[in-house]
Amino acid sequence: MQRFSLRTKLLLSFSTVIVVSALLSLIIGTYLVKTIIAQAQGKVKLDLNSAREVYQEESGNIKDVVRLTAVRFFIKDAVLKGHGEKLKGELQNIRDQEHLDVLTLVNRQSRVILRAHNPEVFGDQLNDDVVSHVLSRQKVVVSTQIVSKDDLERESRDLLERSRIDLIPTLQERPRTETEETSGMMIKAAAPVLDYDGELIGVLLGGRLLNRNYEIVDNVKDIVYRGEKYKGKDIGTVTIFQGDLRISTNVLRLDGDRAIGTRVSQEVYDQVIGKGVPWIGRAFVVNDWYITAYEPIKNISGNIIGMLYVGILEAPYVDLKNRAVLTFLGVAILSVTLLAIVALFTTENITRPLKELLFATQKVAQGNLSHRLRVKSGDEIGQLVGSFNQMTGELQKATEKYQVLTRTLEDKVAEKTEELRKAQDQLIQTAKLTSLGKLAAGIAHEVNNPLTSILINSHLVAEKLSEDDHFQENMRLIIDETTRCGAIVKGLLDFSRQTPPEKNISDLNEVVENTLQMLKSQILVHEIQVKKDLDRELPEIMIDVNQIKQVFTNMILNALDATPKGGWLTVRSQMASDKQFVEITFQDTGHGIEKGNIGKIFDPFYTTKGMAGSGLGLSVSYGIMRQHGGTIDVQSEPGKGTTMTIQLPVTEYQEDEAV
Amino acid sequence: MENKAKILVVDDEVPVCRSISSALEPEGYLVDQALSGEEALQKEGENRYDVIIADLMMPGMSGMDLLRAVKEKRSDIVVIMITGYPSMKTAVQAVKLGAFDYLPKPFAPSELRNLISRALERKRIYEEKAPVEEKAMAKTPLPEGLYCIPGHSWAKLEDDGNVRVGIHELYLRTVKNFSSIKFPDENEKVSQGETCLWVVDTAGNLHRLWSPVSGRVISINEEVEEDYSRVMEDPYGSGWLLLIKPLRFEEELENLLPFDKE
Repeated sequence: MQRFSLRTKLLLSFSTVIVVSALLSLIIGTYLVKTIIAQAQGKVKLDLNSAREVYQEESGNIKDVVRLTAVRFFIKDAVLKGHGEKLKGELQNIRDQEHLDVLTLVNRQSRVILRAHNPEVFGDQLNDDVVSHVLSRQKVVVSTQIVSKDDLERESRDLLERSRIDLIPTLQERPRTETEETSGMMIKAAAPVLDYDGELIGVLLGGRLLNRNYEIVDNVKDIVYRGEKYKGKDIGTVTIFQGDLRISTNVLRLDGDRAIGTRVSQEVYDQVIGKGVPWIGRAFVVNDWYITAYEPIKNISGNIIGMLYVGILEAPYVDLKNRAVLTFLGVAILSVTLLAIVALFTTENITRPLKELLFATQKVAQGNLSHRLRVKSGDEIGQLVGSFNQMTGELQKATEKYQVLTRTLEDKVAEKTEELRKAQDQLIQTAKLTSLGKLAAGIAHEVNNPLTSILINSHLVAEKLSEDDHFQENMRLIIDETTRCGAIVKGLLDFSRQTPPEKNISDLNEVVENTLQMLKSQILVHEIQVKKDLDRELPEIMIDVNQIKQVFTNMILNALDATPKGGWLTVRSQMASDKQFVEITFQDTGHGIEKGNIGKIFDPFYTTKGMAGSGLGLSVSYGIMRQHGGTIDVQSEPGKGTTMTIQLPVTEYQEDEAV
Repeated sequence: MENKAKILVVDDEVPVCRSISSALEPEGYLVDQALSGEEALQKEGENRYDVIIADLMMPGMSGMDLLRAVKEKRSDIVVIMITGYPSMKTAVQAVKLGAFDYLPKPFAPSELRNLISRALERKRIYEEKAPVEEKAMAKTPLPEGLYCIPGHSWAKLEDDGNVRVGIHELYLRTVKNFSSIKFPDENEKVSQGETCLWVVDTAGNLHRLWSPVSGRVISINEEVEEDYSRVMEDPYGSGWLLLIKPLRFEEELENLLPFDKE
């Protein structure tokens, strides 16, 4: 199933449901149709019973007529005393009234006394099973009998005519060699004629020929089917068969005539006539399919001589069935179509957002976190889309945060690296100064001894010389220079000892101003423009004013020495960006410092001023800044100038403010 | 020259010894030299010197060791420390241990001579006047809370956290013919054991007065500036000289001695 898309799977599932329901409705339809057919068959069965009833009633009628007539006196008299005109008249009268085809009186010996239908022929021996039956049993009897051609002829020529039927070729018929049927089938009833003592003296035989007699069949049709028609055809049909031949029927041929002379199918014949078993089922009658019921008609001897048939036109049921099937089929197709549409719609509804979601996840996977889906429904998919959007949103936020953090981290690392570098520089500088301090102290000790000797002895010499001796000047120089040496050594020692600052709460801007004021004349001599950019909002901080003034002095003097005439010195004060320090910068437009020399400028005795400088100014300044917890930073570009930045911490001044 | 003072110069460097000798001999002092503490100690045993001038930093026995050894034998001997490495802490400690004074190298002969003159005056005070009399000379009762560089200067912590500084009476007495005081400027920085002012005698000689504390000069006693006799009359009271804002008084107190334990 992996290779099918979700859409296909959903459609397949839907299709399965659709097909199953369609099949189910077809099955149900078929079942219903079968039920209808079964009901129709049941009805036919009942109709057959009704037809039999009618048939038996007809038989009963004839039987009654014969029975009642047989007990009449004129019958007895006619047998006892020979017939007269009266008998003839009476019997003919009765025959006409009761529509009997045969009404014959025979004596005890079966000799014909009178044939009401054909009075001309009499005295002949009547071989009739029914009559024989009465003679032997002296009971009224009725039965359907086959009447031979000769018997019919004896009765009357028109009976012969009526019963004679040409065989008409019929579909599915049982093959027969004859081309016509000359015998007939008749309901016969016979009653004993008794004398006044009750002795059997004769038999009265009455009968009605069934051939071409449509009374029974039409009666049944009228009673049972009430003349219902379907597409111009009678729904119900009734037939009386003589053997396999229709002798009385309301089944019509295509030309509209009754289908007399047509015959039953081999199949039905074999079952009903052959086996004596009633037939219930569909059968092809003449030229239509019917739902039919056949039952055998037996003669007095129990032999099957014919059949009674009832049939309902199958067409209405077939049509009903077809309609039902069509309806079910239509319903099935309609529902399949509807379901398919719904399925397609639903599938589309489900799969489209899923496809979009898939697309979106691929986008996210590629790193596009700003992709958003539109929420279209409130169902689970809508919620999923909502959750997805929320998730991507959170992811985007987190990523942004992460990027910011990373950037911050990078900045922090860079910052820390810079701080570390500075700290290392300071450390190196400090270490340098410490060892140089120790060296200086050692040198001071060693140098001071010879200086002492020189100083004392030059004084002594000077003392010996007269005031106006021309060597006095030389001695003075020796003494002064020696004293200067001593001062230098002392400076060195001071530097190495780094006397702690005496801090007071002070305004740094004021210190700057004072220092500039103090150096006014030097600035004038150097012809340098000084630009002040002082932040008047600076907090006052704890400093040793004299030491800081010394530092500023060193800065300014160095700038003056480095800057050619007409140059600029910018002195700026401001808060450092971290608010922890106050910053003073001295920016000159001087010749700058060679890159390789920047590391040396704080070293003691490093000077570019030759004899003019002690080389201690910046290293002393450095020491002072260190003792203030501050820093000096140098930025310089040869030919463009130098910027010295001093940072002093903004710290606990309340403590000392109390002093 | 019975009265000639005997001076022993101790330094591990011959030129220094010679230079000092030649600076002092013309003044009529008998000057001996020693190149080590051990030699000095030996010589001191043979000759009773009035003044010993000793370098603090010497190989072997240091000037400080020599001071202790000598002072142990003779409390009346005057010892002046000279040092090429003027660690003020060491110098002040030497004074605390009994050295009369010290002189940082390099120095001019006049400075040395002034100091020797004061040292001999001190010697004279030791010998000629009994300590009882010395005490009686104090015109004011001994003040409380005074801390000294013995024989030099005193310091007193005021309630406002500043330190009042004055001159020790003994110092004044070693300066013959005290004339005036050369004060520092206000706001000037001073350090313990370094010169905070100069005492001037009538001959115009300048005598260093070591500051007992480090700090900044806040004010100068103007009354004394107007009338220097105040210093003589009430050296521990109204004759105070400087008001100093101390830097690390607590720490520096270790190098000072309470006045009454001098």
